Amino acid sequence: MDPALTRNGLENRGNTARLGALIAAFLGLAAAAHTVVAAAPEAKAAAQTVAKLSDADNTCLACHSFEGMEKKFASGEKLSLQVLGASFAQSVHASAGCAGCHADVDVAKHPGPAKKFKTAREHSLAFTGVCRNCHEDKFKLYEGSVHEKLLKSGVDAAPVCTDCHNPHSVKARAALASISGVSCRKCHEPIFDAYAASMHGTARGKLGHSAAPICADCHRAHDIGFAGASDRLKAACLGCHQGVADVHARWLPNAARHLDVIACAACHSPAAERKVDLRLVESGTQARVAEGDGNAELENRLAAADKDGKGIDAIELWNVLREINRDRGEGRTTLRGRLEVRTGVQAHQLADKSQALRTCETCHRQGADPFQNVSVSIIGVDGRPLRQEVQKEVLTSVLSVDSMGGFYAVGGTRIKLLDLLLVLSVLGGLAVPVGHQMLRWMVRRHLRLQAEAARAAAGAAAGGEASGGPSGPGASRAPGK
Amino acid sequence: MKKIYVHPLPVRVWHWVNAAGFVALIVTGLQIRYVGVFDFMPFRAAVQWHNWIGFVLIANFFVWLGFYLFTDKIRVYHPELNPMEHFRGSMRQLQYYGYGLFKGDPNPFHISAYRKFNPVQSMTYQVVMMILVPVQFFTGVVLWDTRMFSGVIEFFGGIRVVDTIHVLIFIFFVSYIIIHAYMGALGHTPSAHYKAMFTGWEEAEETGEARH
Repeated sequence: MDPALTRNGLENRGNTARLGALIAAFLGLAAAAHTVVAAAPEAKAAAQTVAKLSDADNTCLACHSFEGMEKKFASGEKLSLQVLGASFAQSVHASAGCAGCHADVDVAKHPGPAKKFKTAREHSLAFTGVCRNCHEDKFKLYEGSVHEKLLKSGVDAAPVCTDCHNPHSVKARAALASISGVSCRKCHEPIFDAYAASMHGTARGKLGHSAAPICADCHRAHDIGFAGASDRLKAACLGCHQGVADVHARWLPNAARHLDVIACAACHSPAAERKVDLRLVESGTQARVAEGDGNAELENRLAAADKDGKGIDAIELWNVLREINRDRGEGRTTLRGRLEVRTGVQAHQLADKSQALRTCETCHRQGADPFQNVSVSIIGVDGRPLRQEVQKEVLTSVLSVDSMGGFYAVGGTRIKLLDLLLVLSVLGGLAVPVGHQMLRWMVRRHLRLQAEAARAAAGAAAGGEASGGPSGPGASRAPGK
Repeated sequence: MKKIYVHPLPVRVWHWVNAAGFVALIVTGLQIRYVGVFDFMPFRAAVQWHNWIGFVLIANFFVWLGFYLFTDKIRVYHPELNPMEHFRGSMRQLQYYGYGLFKGDPNPFHISAYRKFNPVQSMTYQVVMMILVPVQFFTGVVLWDTRMFSGVIEFFGGIRVVDTIHVLIFIFFVSYIIIHAYMGALGHTPSAHYKAMFTGWEEAEETGEARH
């Protein structure tokens, strides 16, 4: 159990006992205040389990274990106030007792007037602060997470504690325990379903391999980040699949380079479509560049670079990189290309390694699938990657030598100008023997004609001896062979 | 015709290993770069052959270098330091290839054991053997293991820069090898220089001008 929780829980037990005495005194009043009729089975269940709880908690459960206890909000939504004693007694919160979290309950006035929450969501958000009293460490992890950033940016649906943990039945690492109970699925259903059908999900769900990863094993629980915003996911893969570099090096040339540049899923999710993401990074540290870092309005600048709306072309990319480097410091910013899958669903469709791509030609050929979809990306102010579409021709432009010197896939992203030079080289090479032989033919023909003309002139001179004298320099020498 | 021994055995071995290797590197290089256009062999096999042949040729390069460094034959690579003399000699040679050869004029260059390259050959081979071949080997080794040489790759501006240099020299060698093979057939008979490159003995015209 979490040490912080245990310590705080013990401290709270004193309060619980004091509060319990008061609650007991008002038991009759509290019971009468609710218009709930207890069904016999529930009452029996509650009676069987309360023995593990304190008297004060039993007092609360005397009412709150009944089905149908609920709170109504202005929006018309209802929130169940039922707490099953058996579940609560087995939860990690049993030691804290009811008052550990509901210290604000004034037993003298309970249930008292309803608080002014318009929606159930508003109520959940307000109660999140209560969790913090004991779970400060988890809150620190949560702060800066994708979920917290979404919440701060005004997305009310972004999860808080109670969306993943039921406070009245929470067990240690309960959120991770069972594939069917994973709370992530509530929001990420398509991705979760892809995972569940993957070799990881199958191993965990059907085969019962508890070592097979579930959501939080790769994405973490409270400090969950934006997938693709860092190299954390790759580290998660390598954390379990140790020795991967050696395994790949047995058959894959430049295995280390492949592992650096290609997302695992690009080969291990064989049905996926692939793409190239050109990440703006610091030249030295290779850390991803974030909006607002270095006085350059990167997001606006990248968006403005695409002048015709068809994606940034090679010259536009080269120009915008020059501008960014001018603003952020010369040579400080560069592009690091990565080969990824196109969607989150595809990233989770990991297959057994026997189905992983092993055919080099999948990527190392012109027109290969990964090089048909290209983006340039930065990290936005909220930590999410911001992508701008780039024309695929940037990968084969001669300008790429300057703008993305660090990204190259043999064959797949070859520079077209070099193809032209090769053709010219072959033609030029062949033109030398052909041209030389033609030159030889022309020179010899010229010399032969010259000699014939000289002989004719000499003959004419001999015929009309009156003119006399030699006929010219060409007459004295016959052409060579 | 008198016979002059101009190509010692180590040079002949180096030359033909290099020639066969270059052809093999061009073929495998084309396969690596142009999957789909050429399909001589699988990509991975082409990469592996390309790497191994590359290392054989690097070792072979040191046979050539060692021979010339440790014998006085290195004089054949001594450049003509007088630019005007070099220019005049080159012009004479080009005039011979472009005109005199067809007329049956004698080659203005007279071969000897210590002066076996005419001015055009001399300049070409110096650029090829002292700049292009070493740079090609260097870039090839760097591309062979990009992780081991990641620092070098970054220094030169990235893998695409290094690869582009490698490909540009490859493009040069494609035409070079065609022209080289053709010019080898421009001796006093088409096979004269080829035979000499196997036997070591060149047949030279007896002009009395040959310097030893």
